Amino acid sequence: MLLLAGLLTLLFLTQFPKIRTDTNPKHMLPDTSDVRVWNDEVDKAFALYEDTIVVGVENAAGVLNRETLGRIARITDGILALPGVASRDVNSFTTITNVTADAGTLKVGPLMPAAPKTDAEVEALRAALFGNTLFVNRVISKDGKTTAIYVPLEKGANGAEVADKIREIVAKEKGPERYYIAGDPVARDTFGAEMFKLMAMFSPIAGMIMFAAIQYMFRNLALSAAMMGVSMVAIIWSMGLLIGAGFPVHIMSSMAPVFLMAIATDSIHIFNEFYFRYKERGDKLAAIRETMAAVSRPVRYTALATAAGFAVLLFMNIIPVQVFGGLIAFGTVVLRLLSFSFISAVLTFVREDRIARAAGSETVDGDRTAQALGRLGAFGAARPGITVAVTLALAAVSVWGTSKIHVNNNMVAWFKASSEIRVADTAMNQALGGTSLGYLVVQSKEPEFMKRPEAMRWIEGLQRHLEALPEVGKTFSVADYVKRINRILHDDDAKYDAVPETKDTVGQYLFLFSMSAKPSDLDSVVDPVFGKANIWVQMKTWDAEAMRQVIAAAERYQKVNPLPVTVKPAGIAYFNLVWNDEVLGDLVLGFSLALVVVFAILALDFRSLKWALIAYAPLLFTILFIYGVVGFVGKDFDMPLSVMSTLSLGMAVDFAIHFVSRLRQRLAETGDADLPGALVWTAARPGKGIMRNAVLFAAAFSVMMFAPLTPYVVVGAFIVSMMLLSALLTMLLIPALVMLGRRWLFA
Amino acid sequence: MKRWWIWMIAGLLPLQALALSGEEVMKKSQAAFLYPGKDFKARVVMKLINKDGQERVRELTMLRKNVGEAGGEQKYFMYFFQPADVKDMTFMTYKYPAKDDDRWMFIPAVNMVKRIAAQDKRSSFVGSDFTYEDVSGRDLEDDTHAVEREEKIGNRDCIVVKSTPKGTDADFGSKLTWVDKENFLPLKEEQYDRKGARYKLFTADEMADIQSIPTVVKRSMKNLQTGHRTEVAYLKTGYNLGIEDSLFSERFLRQPPRKWVD
Repeated sequence: MLLLAGLLTLLFLTQFPKIRTDTNPKHMLPDTSDVRVWNDEVDKAFALYEDTIVVGVENAAGVLNRETLGRIARITDGILALPGVASRDVNSFTTITNVTADAGTLKVGPLMPAAPKTDAEVEALRAALFGNTLFVNRVISKDGKTTAIYVPLEKGANGAEVADKIREIVAKEKGPERYYIAGDPVARDTFGAEMFKLMAMFSPIAGMIMFAAIQYMFRNLALSAAMMGVSMVAIIWSMGLLIGAGFPVHIMSSMAPVFLMAIATDSIHIFNEFYFRYKERGDKLAAIRETMAAVSRPVRYTALATAAGFAVLLFMNIIPVQVFGGLIAFGTVVLRLLSFSFISAVLTFVREDRIARAAGSETVDGDRTAQALGRLGAFGAARPGITVAVTLALAAVSVWGTSKIHVNNNMVAWFKASSEIRVADTAMNQALGGTSLGYLVVQSKEPEFMKRPEAMRWIEGLQRHLEALPEVGKTFSVADYVKRINRILHDDDAKYDAVPETKDTVGQYLFLFSMSAKPSDLDSVVDPVFGKANIWVQMKTWDAEAMRQVIAAAERYQKVNPLPVTVKPAGIAYFNLVWNDEVLGDLVLGFSLALVVVFAILALDFRSLKWALIAYAPLLFTILFIYGVVGFVGKDFDMPLSVMSTLSLGMAVDFAIHFVSRLRQRLAETGDADLPGALVWTAARPGKGIMRNAVLFAAAFSVMMFAPLTPYVVVGAFIVSMMLLSALLTMLLIPALVMLGRRWLFA
Repeated sequence: MKRWWIWMIAGLLPLQALALSGEEVMKKSQAAFLYPGKDFKARVVMKLINKDGQERVRELTMLRKNVGEAGGEQKYFMYFFQPADVKDMTFMTYKYPAKDDDRWMFIPAVNMVKRIAAQDKRSSFVGSDFTYEDVSGRDLEDDTHAVEREEKIGNRDCIVVKSTPKGTDADFGSKLTWVDKENFLPLKEEQYDRKGARYKLFTADEMADIQSIPTVVKRSMKNLQTGHRTEVAYLKTGYNLGIEDSLFSERFLRQPPRKWVD
């Protein structure tokens, strides 16, 4: 048996080198989802790049001087030579297309073909930059202190490698400039690195803390080692299965080791009871037998509840959440199988004198923890009215707090404020049009429609309408090019900074433009047959709400200005919005499912709806209180939190299952006469196991509160507070409710 | 004899002198490809095809007149038929060796002739995968040319020449040209970007003898990095038609004579 387990463990361990992480937020939804299919279509129609790195260059004294411009030119040259970079479409001062007129000659070409050699050339560049709306807020900040180099990546290029090479290139430049490297690929790779850190560093630390805590509680190395061994084996099996089955490790599954370790602490109840029994009986084998008889049923049902809580996640729409649910459900089953067979086996091997010494203080009377817990239970039993009233009052306040909850996924905010990526994002958002990019695709069924002056003007009007939103920093479209050419052809006369009168004029202007511009200049804003136009919308925040505002504004605009076109949002910002709404939908679905499943398991375990209701109460109030706090604190309710709430039902109910099962066992043994006495006994003795379990659980997760990514911190804080709170409520509220409802319960 | 190898090289020298150098091959190729006849006319149909097979069409009449010898000055006149909204647009180029071209464009919708700067010869010609240089030729002096090897394309014997830009103005790092040994037309050209990756591929897809001058009548250029390609067909071709020098003027840009553009 042991040999088989060892072999299996080895087998799963061999899968580990195949590990890959997936930090692409797009993969949260399946590639067949409407939003991804549509986004791919848009990328194709407008030859857009999936990934772009943005390099910010900031000089407090302004970037428009010969030295800084020389550096920008050198840096751009360096970037153009990097493998993986789509060099033809890098946009920097030296490569971005400019339309100008010089002594009657129309010039369509790079803005700054080479670094200026004289101050007069610098001034000419300044005039060219600020005289062209296409540049301001895109490649130059309004105050002239920041510029950006947009570096699109070829399909399949390694964003981390390119970003590192860019860092090397900018490091060679000595000067007062500051450089920021931002963009989706950089965020993803930073994320991936942090995920590995969590798994490789924080999980072992959590494990060691738990080990130390168990050792402190039970003072027996063999037992502590057995428990940790079981959890290690479960972790190796589940992670090995995950990796071996070809799934990449995602933000959620990276937390699996910590979860499994924490769930393994459920075996605490076996030890807890065993120590009490051993102390009472002094006969090890009898104590083991009795312990297993008393504890196995609740432990089985708590495992079932936990596994079910995670299995519910399989019904979610977000892929990493599904995978995570399946992974932990599997791990929980493994844990349970192992702990029943393995831990009781270890107990038989442990030398009696050692146990005798360790269990020395395990009596309800002689133990301070047990006494304190007993008093807690006694208070609930003695003053059930007050206890329930206070709980209800707190619940009412929490409901109010819950109403303030704000669902939002902002992936940049997942990084800490001091992280390189957040600093870069903040700086770029302050200086330029915004790092969060969405598209509005204006579609007509008629080819050539977008060349019509009314369509051009409509697009232009929509842009102005969108730019009135505080979140929108910059928009640009084909209309901007047309207006620019009109103005330049008419000697840079501001009067002509408008869409021309006829479709032919628009067509000829664009043709003229395409004679010298980069193909992508036009391709990225109109489709080849001019039936669709793409408006680029840069937003200053990654909040999903910003894109919702943009869409709503576009709808309002269309209502007031009807035109036979449709406007469809696209791009990464739109994806985030869709995904955000999926999270909310999933939350409602998952939470309801979990509520039903957990109640069903309770009812099944107790064979009584009444007892199920009693055991349900601490769980509900715990969740409610935490949500209330989340609402009051103003923390965004995001994916990790929503998953946690679903899971937490399955985990938090464990304590109530233990409590009620053991209470009813006690009552069956001693008769119903002394109900308060039985309640105090349960709170004190199995209660100590519950408390130990909660503390261990919390200890493991408290490590995550020091992790560098906020979702980990939030999950850590959530679990710690949930475990402690639900343990406390179990000990306090259940006695109160049992006392209040005893007629009904024992009828 | 210790220095036997010097004699060996000396023995090879006469053979080297007999063969053409890279420069000479490219010079002959340019003459055969871009300069045949005193003048030339063709109806050019360009298909711009993106990765998904979506097509856009450019149709124009191209007139060329040589001012001097092969490798010297040339004048180009183009009249556009398609896309529909650019009909009547005309485009004129005076091409000078070793100097920026002069370019003018007539924009009928605003009745305006505009001079167009030509500082960037590597930009796309009317949105196609051909650059201005691919259409009217690149100054041979801008690159060094070396014969790499000889190779067959189909049943034609070719000399493969590697050209490397001397400066950094080019968007390519190097190119290989397969020049037909007999008529010196380029049958294939591979351009590599500055990172050394395959960038663009030119192929001469169909030849014809027009007035006994071997002419490439179908050609294509494919951008291997974006998957975009351009196919060009020359119809109604003719050499030595007696195109007047006066045609290449602003007056005729505004009102091109029917007989030349149809």
